[in-house]
Amino acid sequence: MSVIIVENLFFAYSMDDVLTDISFKIEAGEFVGLFGPNGGGKSTLLALLMGFLKPKKGSIRIFEQSPIQARSQMAWVPQTFHFDRHFPISVEEVVLGGRLSKLSWMGRFGKSDSAAVSASLERVGMENYKEAPFSILSGGQAQRVLIARALASNPSLLLLDEPTASVDYAAQAEIYRLLTSLKKEITVVMVTHDLHAAVKHVDKVFCVQKNLIPMAPEKVCEHFAMGLYHAPLKIGKELS
Amino acid sequence: MNFIEAFLSSPVLRMAVLAAIGASFASGIIGSYVVVKRIVSMSGSIAHSVLSGLGAALWLQRVHGLHWLHPIYGAFAAGILSSLIIGWVHLYYREREDAIIAMIWSVGMATGVIFVSQIPGYNVELMNFLLGNVLWVSSWDLGVLFLLDGLIIGVVFVYHKRFLALCFDEKQAQLQGLPVGRLYLLLLSLIAVSVVLLIYVVGIILVLSMLALPASIAGSFTHRLSRMMGIAVLLNIAFSIGGMAIAYRLDWPAGATIALFSGVIYLLSLRFKNPITSSRP
Repeated sequence: MSVIIVENLFFAYSMDDVLTDISFKIEAGEFVGLFGPNGGGKSTLLALLMGFLKPKKGSIRIFEQSPIQARSQMAWVPQTFHFDRHFPISVEEVVLGGRLSKLSWMGRFGKSDSAAVSASLERVGMENYKEAPFSILSGGQAQRVLIARALASNPSLLLLDEPTASVDYAAQAEIYRLLTSLKKEITVVMVTHDLHAAVKHVDKVFCVQKNLIPMAPEKVCEHFAMGLYHAPLKIGKELS
Repeated sequence: MNFIEAFLSSPVLRMAVLAAIGASFASGIIGSYVVVKRIVSMSGSIAHSVLSGLGAALWLQRVHGLHWLHPIYGAFAAGILSSLIIGWVHLYYREREDAIIAMIWSVGMATGVIFVSQIPGYNVELMNFLLGNVLWVSSWDLGVLFLLDGLIIGVVFVYHKRFLALCFDEKQAQLQGLPVGRLYLLLLSLIAVSVVLLIYVVGIILVLSMLALPASIAGSFTHRLSRMMGIAVLLNIAFSIGGMAIAYRLDWPAGATIALFSGVIYLLSLRFKNPITSSRP
């Protein structure tokens, strides 16, 4: 079953084309890596999938619904630098952000929400930090807490924006171990620059540079892994 | 006679202290959202635009005989209107946000000054609104102040977790199905209500000193927004009563002394390391 179906998608900010004529499908349980140069449209594509932006042309269907209708089935993990690290909030409160759709009209969370928070913190190995301030966490720990927030909503589709961008090698390995363990259970789409590590774990790679070229991970050119992007030379061979 | 003796013997001073305590609750709670959401300049714009409503209401009351029209109604209407305009610009027209905030700030003040200038004997009234005069508070004002305080506390009791989500991560709140646009407008409207309360104590120009400074200090001592609010309320009470005591002793204007006192303590607080963030690895 296709979780995401994108057909003939065009998007532009005022006069600048960002994405042109993009079509692809992602199947249930796949782990897909999106990579490409800065300004190539990766994060824009993620925003379109979440319904934060509207396509100029073309269509996006997620679980056979529009992105906005499908939001209850998806979760996202942003980069930690998006956040004010001095914000007065505990790890538990951050993870409860994945249960906001369950909030009662009186603004109270229930026991099932607390249980979901504990379970997802345990899954990312951060159960001992429940009461800790978010501000004292290292980059890798903060990223794992954001993954826990995403898991707390029991999503069927997980979208990640460069989850290993600002973390050390050990934290990176831990994040990949975690994401690989989610494979088959959840469909995962991850934007990344870290191609060397990513190709070892993903099932499919999409190169996004205004258009989108699907590739098998083992066919990704070494130049790309070094950050030297160019149009693939053997498109016929590299298409998955 | 010292401040405590004056407080015990003067009903006017007791009313002033009660007004300062009432305004401290609103400013400590709402000021904490203002600081963590980093919307201090938006709040300043709402605060200054309130003068247009105050001036218009005063002008209609004094020049055109609409005696039922209390200036605070005008302040309330102008505050809500400007908060809705700023909120709408933030949500749908973000490229021009800074310029529109500045425009509402200056045009609001200018409109108010022109209205007030058309009222005979306007000088005292204008200074009271701009710089505050807590000794000016009547029992009717005190009733309005505590009513609005109750409204703010009630809304925050129900909406705190939604506001926390809105302040920390708007996109996550949106993805989880929260009506982010409406929540944002509600938060700005609560700022407008708080501004109206603070006019009694420190006046329009000095509103930010009670809204932003105690909450900024409080943020250094806790990692929970709810606790930050509690500390900010206590600091606001301490600064307003302390400021009034200094003003009484030195025969200075109370609003300006409270603002100055808050500013000095804020500067001193910067000398101390943040106990929360300094422990980050």
